[in-house]
Amino acid sequence: MLCQICKKKEATIILTKVSEGQKTVIQLCQDCASMFNDKLSIFPIPEFNINDLLTGLLKAIDLYSKEEGVIPIKEVKCSNCHLTYDEFKQSGKLGCSVCYHDFREQLIPLLRRLHGNSEHVGKIPQRAKGKLNKIRKIKQLRKELQEVVSREEYEKAAKIRDEILKLEGALKKRNAK
Amino acid sequence: MQNNKKGIILQKLKESDAEWTNGQGPLSDIVISSRIRLARNIEGIPFPSRADQVELKNIFDLSQQVIEKSSLFKDYNLLLLDELTPLERQFLVEKHLISIYHALKKQVYRGCIFNQRETLSIMINEEDHFRIQYLLSGLQLNEIWKLINKIDDEIEKIVTYAFSGKEGYLTSCPTNVGTGMRASVMLHLPALAMVGGMNDILKAISKIGYVVRGFYGEGTEVMGNLFQVSNQITLGLSEEEIIDNLEKVNQQIISQEQKVRNDLLSNSKSQLEDQIWRAYGILSSARIISSVEAMELLSKLRFGVELGIISHPDLATLNKLMLLIQPAYLQMLAGKDLDPFTRDLQRAILIRNKISE
Repeated sequence: MLCQICKKKEATIILTKVSEGQKTVIQLCQDCASMFNDKLSIFPIPEFNINDLLTGLLKAIDLYSKEEGVIPIKEVKCSNCHLTYDEFKQSGKLGCSVCYHDFREQLIPLLRRLHGNSEHVGKIPQRAKGKLNKIRKIKQLRKELQEVVSREEYEKAAKIRDEILKLEGALKKRNAK
Repeated sequence: MQNNKKGIILQKLKESDAEWTNGQGPLSDIVISSRIRLARNIEGIPFPSRADQVELKNIFDLSQQVIEKSSLFKDYNLLLLDELTPLERQFLVEKHLISIYHALKKQVYRGCIFNQRETLSIMINEEDHFRIQYLLSGLQLNEIWKLINKIDDEIEKIVTYAFSGKEGYLTSCPTNVGTGMRASVMLHLPALAMVGGMNDILKAISKIGYVVRGFYGEGTEVMGNLFQVSNQITLGLSEEEIIDNLEKVNQQIISQEQKVRNDLLSNSKSQLEDQIWRAYGILSSARIISSVEAMELLSKLRFGVELGIISHPDLATLNKLMLLIQPAYLQMLAGKDLDPFTRDLQRAILIRNKISE
């Protein structure tokens, strides 16, 4: 089933709204759903209590995944600390840093709802700086590349492409080490 | 020996005033203090809620190494909360050095590192392995970010933080992941509270990703018209953006408060003066006073000082009084447990003395 809004991505979320006895069901992909849930106010967002907010979101996300039957969430377990996703849902607390990796699929929609975003752009620890700065730079250059290509500025594009290749080469070398 | 050292640290803490209470910072007629805290965890060790005793001890030992190895942490104190009485832990809460959660939760190897100025404190094994916080008086978020960023770098020379390129600094609760940063500003908003303007403001700021907490942080009551405004979003924004946005939100609230203050001064000055002098009257003559009543009246008195209606006591004295009259602080000063009634008597004496100083 494709998302009813963008008609491009797979719909993974079913939004059901009951208003004055009328039931409306919409099937959405995650991206479109995150855009829409404010307007539909499907998720009651308590104003000042962050813990209620979190548990509420967890339940909502869980519910939709279950209806879809995509991820048997109960069985998901962290390979390092053995915390189950169910336990996380109860306490709102993850067990270790590996949980972020092992629950990533479930966490992304949650992080989007909590922060409007799922990717870090802030401070980087010294030890990871070289690598991550290169990755960020490559991302930014790819964007620029698209822009200059669309403006048909091919000379500039070639320069940017070379720079990307250079950075990617450096990253590969680093990873090989 | 250990007990002796703990005693000395607490004794000093009892006698000293935290620098953030000095009432000197920018916009200190409305902004009491600014604070930033960073949540950090050590790679390879489960978060405190899932760590065993050995792992918790490892974290505590690491924190000890941090302050021993780095010259930046010379003269820092480290307390093991397990060794403190509930009263002493509550005292640290009232001093704003640890959270209520940290004081109450049942778990071994909880620690607290802090400097003499009481501007920096690090909670060990709270919800995350390290929770670093920096406090200054007035609106000084940018300054604090510079200082705490340096401290964070220094700690990182000794430990390896749990970090992922995608999610940033990994924290026990996903509401903190990314920057791990919570920045907050403590505002004194008596005019807005008086005209009932707070509800609208609270609604508006919660809609744009900010949250208001009470005097002692998350889950605590607003008292004495003190509101703590902080960011909720920690992922997808840089530290500088979070600070910049928070500062803008606060500046708007501050200008609202200023506007209402001016309106009150030009339209109902006599009523204002009456309320403020009445508060002064009660505080300087009451024989029994609860902490709730005292906080309310101190807020009025503070309002009077901020408006220039009354010149004494100064803001620093009022800031300090707000801490001194809290239940655990009073008992620490008395050197023994006091029942609520005796506390109300002691509180009245303390306030009378401070105000007539």
